[in-house]
Amino acid sequence: MNGEEHILSILVRNKPGVLSRLAGIFGRLGYNIETLCVAPTLDLAVSRITLMSRADSQFTDKVRKQLDRLVDIVEVEELPAARALQREVLLMGIDCSGGRRADVLKGIDLFGCRVIFMRDDYAVLQTVGAPEETETALQYFQSIGIRDMARTGIIALPKEKK
Amino acid sequence: MEKNGAEILLDTLREEGVKAIFGYPGANTLPIHDGLRDHPIRHYLMRHEQAAAHAADGYARATGKVGVCLATSGPGATNLVTGIATAYMDSSPMVALTGQVPTGLLGTDAFQETDIIGITLPITKHSFLVRDPRDMRAALRQAFSLAKSGRPGPVLVDLPRNVLAGRCREEEIRPDEPAVKKTGNGASLDEAVLDRIAQSLNQAERPIIIVGGGVKLSGACRQITDLIERGNIPFVSTMMGVGAVCIANGLNLGFIGTHGFELANRMIHQSDFILAVGTRFSDRSTSTVESFAPLATIAQIDIDPTSIGKNIKADLALVCDIRQALTSLVGKVDAKEREEWRERIRKEREALAEKNAFNGCGNPGRLIGLVQEALTPTAIAVADVGLNQIWTIRSWKSKAPRGLLTSGGMGTMGFSVPASIGAKVANPDRNVVAFTGDGGFFMNIQELATISTYGVPVKIVVFNNGHLGMIRQIQDLFYGARLSACQLGDRVDIVAVARGFGIDAERVDAACPEEGIERLAASREPYLLEVMVDPDHYVYPIIPPGKSNVEMIYGRSD
Repeated sequence: MNGEEHILSILVRNKPGVLSRLAGIFGRLGYNIETLCVAPTLDLAVSRITLMSRADSQFTDKVRKQLDRLVDIVEVEELPAARALQREVLLMGIDCSGGRRADVLKGIDLFGCRVIFMRDDYAVLQTVGAPEETETALQYFQSIGIRDMARTGIIALPKEKK
Repeated sequence: MEKNGAEILLDTLREEGVKAIFGYPGANTLPIHDGLRDHPIRHYLMRHEQAAAHAADGYARATGKVGVCLATSGPGATNLVTGIATAYMDSSPMVALTGQVPTGLLGTDAFQETDIIGITLPITKHSFLVRDPRDMRAALRQAFSLAKSGRPGPVLVDLPRNVLAGRCREEEIRPDEPAVKKTGNGASLDEAVLDRIAQSLNQAERPIIIVGGGVKLSGACRQITDLIERGNIPFVSTMMGVGAVCIANGLNLGFIGTHGFELANRMIHQSDFILAVGTRFSDRSTSTVESFAPLATIAQIDIDPTSIGKNIKADLALVCDIRQALTSLVGKVDAKEREEWRERIRKEREALAEKNAFNGCGNPGRLIGLVQEALTPTAIAVADVGLNQIWTIRSWKSKAPRGLLTSGGMGTMGFSVPASIGAKVANPDRNVVAFTGDGGFFMNIQELATISTYGVPVKIVVFNNGHLGMIRQIQDLFYGARLSACQLGDRVDIVAVARGFGIDAERVDAACPEEGIERLAASREPYLLEVMVDPDHYVYPIIPPGKSNVEMIYGRSD
């Protein structure tokens, strides 16, 4: 779906079935979840879900009201890009064969990648960065040859806590 | 002392004030049914789980208390689904209890296993799977609290058989979780918004109040009546709001929408300020959204934030308990005569009067009026769905609170007979009469057995036109009179069927039902009146699909 990026940071009770209740609301309203991260907070009874959707201007109002009705949802906060710090982890399996190695090493230097695994013809690299950095790294290595890729989706925190 | 999960369940139900549950047993609910043998709670054995859900819903609608239904796992649970959805759409407080396969078999496609929590996610406020008898009490208490708090609705509690049979000591039972969220109850009254609503009402020249079902749910019938009378403010009702205000002084314009009164629809179109209370502006009320109330500023009060602006944009919105809001609003509204606006309404009403004999319902409308006159003023009417529903909503005069029940949002055919059982069980001292068509009657006809077995003295009026009347009307008017799949025929002798179930019954013609009505009203036993209706007898006026509220038609020629 086209539209502007909306990042929601949602605190939920850490119990079975909560994610399906939450996801059901997005599906019924016709919004696609582009990225999704779930992990416990310092309070193990509560998890934080960070998700991103591209959607129209009614998105936040509609979704938020419905989410607020769910018993297992503790708090819903939208994080506009301007006041949020966003990070994403990207793992890439890169083809290093046939003289590509020099470009790969250049990219590792350029984007500050960590090398997690490497042999003559194949390397697995990790980047951590803001969404733009991740996209740029992805484009660079795509031109060399990505064989396998996984990304975590965005996690985010506000720049200042209220 | 040790108790099993089922005993903890039943004791918690009793503590919650439950006196009756409507259910049907299966292998996975047997610990509960075993416990019921020695328990003061009365279990009504229905003949189908769907009817158990409707009976619990009827009980809830007739009392405001939480209705409880019980079904086994698998097909028992899935048979509840229509009834749960019906309660959800009309915000009726219900706790649905379902048996489940033992926890060790969950997810193995065991015999009669179904993921009923997954199936009912979009039609429940919340649901619980109880995994340990020690959690039983807390889950039940939360379920009841959620079902009746904020905007009420159904909550499902899934009960694996080993949890029902498993035992624990009283001191092992876990305490309630302290912070169960009561959705909607956090909202507080914003006096500033209320002041602006009051100011708009005071300044408006042609104000109208829309009374929605939420007014009844929050127990604000007296408060909204006070507001209407103090400000001399004309009002319309949604289908679910009908009956909230029982005054007959020219301010009542009737109910709005597709099958509503032309007066109500016309005046909404002319109004300059609308205060909508406890309504989501469903499509049945507004018809085409773009042409709804083009001249009006709209203010909305509702306890559920998702109802605000869902279908119609509100210029002023207040999320809070309706009774609390109206109590405060009454003090802020000026007493006014509104002579000009009321005169305009009076003229419109007179101009429309002759088009609307018996509120546009003809003989069936007249018959419903006669039935009501023959019964005590506290009588409860339970309307089914279709032409019979519109006839009943238009013709039954609001005299008593919770006096008119119907499936408004879901439009569930077959609702009326089982719901009337629940309403009667809850109100042994009030007359309860179900009005249904032959279509809806056949959908839960098995409940005649429940009625006669328990001797629940409900009255049933079946309008028999041999057709699905509303479908026939739509095909007749808007599909070039090409009737398809709407003919039920006349081969079934409904009176004989009723007698076969052990229920006294007779057949009358819609044009001369007086003697039959006398016997219906006088009977102290269950009684069924079959009313023969001409299949060409439709509901007029009606708004054609895609047309606005002021484009009502009175026949094919319009």
